[in-house]
Amino acid sequence: MTRVLGWLAVVALLAGLAVGFGVAPREVTQGNVQRIMYVHVPSVLVAYLAFAVVFVASVAYLARRAEAADRIAHASAEVGVLFTGITIATGSIWGKPTWGTWWTWDARLTSVAILFVMYLGYLLLRGMVEDRERGARYAAVLGIVAALNVPLVHFSVVWWRTLHQPPSLLKPGTPTIASAILAALLVNVLAHALLYAYFLAKRVRILRREQEASA
Amino acid sequence: MPDHWGYVLFAYGLAAVALFVYWRRLARREKELDRT
Repeated sequence: MTRVLGWLAVVALLAGLAVGFGVAPREVTQGNVQRIMYVHVPSVLVAYLAFAVVFVASVAYLARRAEAADRIAHASAEVGVLFTGITIATGSIWGKPTWGTWWTWDARLTSVAILFVMYLGYLLLRGMVEDRERGARYAAVLGIVAALNVPLVHFSVVWWRTLHQPPSLLKPGTPTIASAILAALLVNVLAHALLYAYFLAKRVRILRREQEASA
Repeated sequence: MPDHWGYVLFAYGLAAVALFVYWRRLARREKELDRT
């Protein structure tokens, strides 16, 4: 099943590249550098998804003390950190030619950097506490608190005046972007979501086997 | 505005490397567990 998911993700990523570079037009204002958005936007949306999964799994763990829920939270946080790192890096690379700077402390960039550091801390915390049950409990609390930062990241561009543009997806009303660009974004969002599911399934399996080996 | 293809390649390349390195890490760990 995991292997099928992996191949589906590869096919979808190739389709995403084909649509992003072959079908989507050159953006009028930004030029071809806008094509970075086909990695940047799906990465942040998948990071939101990953941290939402951490939130739900952490609540489930605290409610039922189910080790499976803890493994899902742990794995999802790790994959979420990976996609948040890609979001920050690709956004920074896009920002240099577009804004003239690699980084600026505006509300969106700052809040996403805080989100990244919070989940890095979450992973460090898991590594630091020797007692597994206690570590899982602390991590679950931090996983819930850190997830509250996700809406702050997303709506930061609405609530504050920022250099970063308002959201193109996940906003009220119909999307305001050209249909070919929207299609390329959606194909890439699906591809990234499949890749997330593949990584999550693989990491959860590894965690389960590690726990079985150490028991 | 100029196209800045170098930045596009940089962004895609970096993302590809990050994803590949993570995938390799998971694959290696699984192989280690198979051996034990």
